[in-house]
Amino acid sequence: MDINSLKNNADQKKESVGTSQYIVVTLGKEQYGIDIRFIDNIVRMQRITRVPKMPPYLVGIINLRGEVLPVVSLRLKMGLEKDVYEKATRIIILKTEQEGNMGVIVDEVKEVVTLEETQVDSVDDLRIEGKNYVCNVGKRENGDLISILDLSMITLEDSAG
Amino acid sequence: MDVSQYLDIFLDETKEHLQNLSDQIMALEANPEDSNTINEIFRAAHTLKGMAGTMGYKRMQTLTHDMENVFSEVRSGKLKANSDMIDILFNCLDALDEYTQNIQNTADEGTNDNEPLIKRLNDLLKGQSQTAEKAEPAQAETEKADSSKKAENAAPENTASSATGEEKWYGIHLDSSQIHVIEEARKQNMECYGINVVVQDSCLLKAARAFLVFKAVEEKGEIIVSNPSAQDVEDERFDKDFTLLVLSKHPLEEVMKAAENVSEIANVTGGVLELEKTKDYKPTETPQAEGATQNAEPQTSQAPAAKNQEKTTDKKAAAGKPVVSRTVRVDIEKLDVLMNLVSELIIAKNSLVAATGQLRSSGENGVGEHIEYLERVTTSLHESVMKVRMVPIESVVNKFPRMIRDLSKKLNKNMELHMSGEETELDRTVVDEIGDPLMHLLRNSADHGLESAEVRAQRGKNPVGSIFLDAYQDGNNVVIEVRDDGNGIDIEAVKNKALERGTITPEQAAVMSDKDVINLLFLPSFSTAKQVTDVSGRGVGLDVVKSKIESLSGEVEVKSQLGQGSTWTIRLPLTLAIIQTLMVAVGGEKYAISLGSIQSLESIRPDEVKHVQNKEVINLRGSVLPLIRMEEVLDVESTRKPGDDLTVVIVKKGDKMAGLVIDELLGQLEIVIKPLGKYIKQCKFISGATILGDGEVALILDANALI
Repeated sequence: MDINSLKNNADQKKESVGTSQYIVVTLGKEQYGIDIRFIDNIVRMQRITRVPKMPPYLVGIINLRGEVLPVVSLRLKMGLEKDVYEKATRIIILKTEQEGNMGVIVDEVKEVVTLEETQVDSVDDLRIEGKNYVCNVGKRENGDLISILDLSMITLEDSAG
Repeated sequence: MDVSQYLDIFLDETKEHLQNLSDQIMALEANPEDSNTINEIFRAAHTLKGMAGTMGYKRMQTLTHDMENVFSEVRSGKLKANSDMIDILFNCLDALDEYTQNIQNTADEGTNDNEPLIKRLNDLLKGQSQTAEKAEPAQAETEKADSSKKAENAAPENTASSATGEEKWYGIHLDSSQIHVIEEARKQNMECYGINVVVQDSCLLKAARAFLVFKAVEEKGEIIVSNPSAQDVEDERFDKDFTLLVLSKHPLEEVMKAAENVSEIANVTGGVLELEKTKDYKPTETPQAEGATQNAEPQTSQAPAAKNQEKTTDKKAAAGKPVVSRTVRVDIEKLDVLMNLVSELIIAKNSLVAATGQLRSSGENGVGEHIEYLERVTTSLHESVMKVRMVPIESVVNKFPRMIRDLSKKLNKNMELHMSGEETELDRTVVDEIGDPLMHLLRNSADHGLESAEVRAQRGKNPVGSIFLDAYQDGNNVVIEVRDDGNGIDIEAVKNKALERGTITPEQAAVMSDKDVINLLFLPSFSTAKQVTDVSGRGVGLDVVKSKIESLSGEVEVKSQLGQGSTWTIRLPLTLAIIQTLMVAVGGEKYAISLGSIQSLESIRPDEVKHVQNKEVINLRGSVLPLIRMEEVLDVESTRKPGDDLTVVIVKKGDKMAGLVIDELLGQLEIVIKPLGKYIKQCKFISGATILGDGEVALILDANALI
């Protein structure tokens, strides 16, 4: 997927107030949305160097054009089954303010959707027990629901490890 | 007033001048008669004063002005430099330093007037006037007074001659398009004014002033012509005045006011430009215009004269001044970028080397030679870039003589600091950090190390204590030694103190070696000083020294002989960014170990491994070392078969050694250290990561943390 064209699109669309774009990824059977403003890049799966004494979800570090970045398994972080690396597996490089860039592993990157503000609901109303990695739910025109990931929860250090 | 763009330069130069002053005042104390030193001091103080004035820091200016007065008296021989005066001068330098700090932090000099200091300076001067004969005024003083008077007089003088300066703008050559612009503007109710701005003689940043005038005037109207050109003015290629033609809707007074409001502007004259006059002026010189040029002449001829005068004094000064090395100020960030690029190049080179390894085996040989050539070039390029980043430790240590002098007074002990190897170079980042640790060690030596004069006399030592600061390069390390000929470390006293504090048990104390006891000193909050002084003795010194040095990948050692003195040795790596490493494999993963910490490589038979206190050890040529199995530390499955010989990397940290058991040796490699990023909380024994030739990431093992 060409991230640059995605970004250009995003920039153009930004003009129209009230809409945001999300990249739709899959983890198992569920679809999740990641706000495109926080995405720096999407790269294919590559060799990950393990770092000893780290929590399991922190898979290791990769080399992204000369920079060493940590990679987090979204599946392990969210308590799902361990990743199975396949052809469609991608590492999404997120821009975070405090921690610098980091990568998250997803099963597949599907598409980019544009949602208007009215199509996005907060999940605060349907409060779920325990850790919550989803901050909003987006409703698409075709009726599909997309869970929009709360990136601050993903980049947050997992104390339980 | 906007001078912020000059602030950085101002701060840099001020610091340089302050350091220079401090050095020279030290020299003056040692040799009060040296006229070169006095001249140098005088010049530095004068420059400081000028710069502070230009930037509008009045308090700083006042203080330097009064200091300058004192220097002036010293220069003329009316006042002798004595210890008292030097003390006051140093206090003044501290005050100036404070101003500079304030300016750096808040762009404001603060509100401390330092009146007591100024009063003491003036007292010095008064004391002089009572003793010295006033009758014979020294050449230097009158000269100085003259020049400052001239600066002050500049303004009225110029107002007097304003009638002549007024016409200057008719000297500007206007081409037809410009005349057209003026005519058009007139139609739109704008007026064209000619403005002549004269900058004060004493102004140091003429270009800056002119820039401010341009800015101020542009707020009122549009500058269409400037003479000299705006570019020349910006590059300071003008004498002391410049002329502008301005289009504006505002009345003339308002535009002139804007220019006058800029400080250090001696005079502004202006008038409405009459186009006819300019036209007249161009073809034939009308009497009026001629008059203008003639009238202007005395002014301009006066200016070169003043300039010549300046030049001669400059030359005089230059003759006495030591040659300054030619340097370029470079932003450290730019160097970092360059460094990163070189790092990338080294990674690329490594990948080529790896790729040719395969080619070579297939018989393609021409490439190999080129690769070797590339390897040589990148290595020298790397070295050159490293050298650019290297700065002499001088910039850190040159403040120490002053500090020791202060300590000597404060502690009432006579002591001397002997320094050598100030030219030894270290990476900029390291140099910035070692100041504090060194200062702690020196204070420590001065306070705890050196005995009082009486005790020294009793012991038959020179009553003046000596502290030595020696720096030298040793292979890939730089060694800095702080040595004193004082009392040395009293092992028993340290032991007792530790017992008293419960740091160690009596049983432990009984078996501790002297070395272990000395190492207790590096524990947090451990101080043997009987009294807490403000010099040292709060127990925050040595542990800070140790942690700081270790954070720079260095180490610190102490050797001490009771009654003879002690030596503190700091060992620092030349650079932090690129290191030589040994690549090893453990459980199929690649790790790098810094060559600096590796003592030797050994192959050990499994039956040579003994057990002491349930821990694995080996006996290596008489010394017993603990064995550390890396696969256990790193949580991986070893690829070694049981019964195989163990490959052991012997690493050392100070005097301690240990053997790291690894699976396979992969060879030596020059690597670029990359930080792991904030998200990965540093694992204790992983000091960073690096990118190998094939793009793979390998972790760097910190052997020091494993021992």
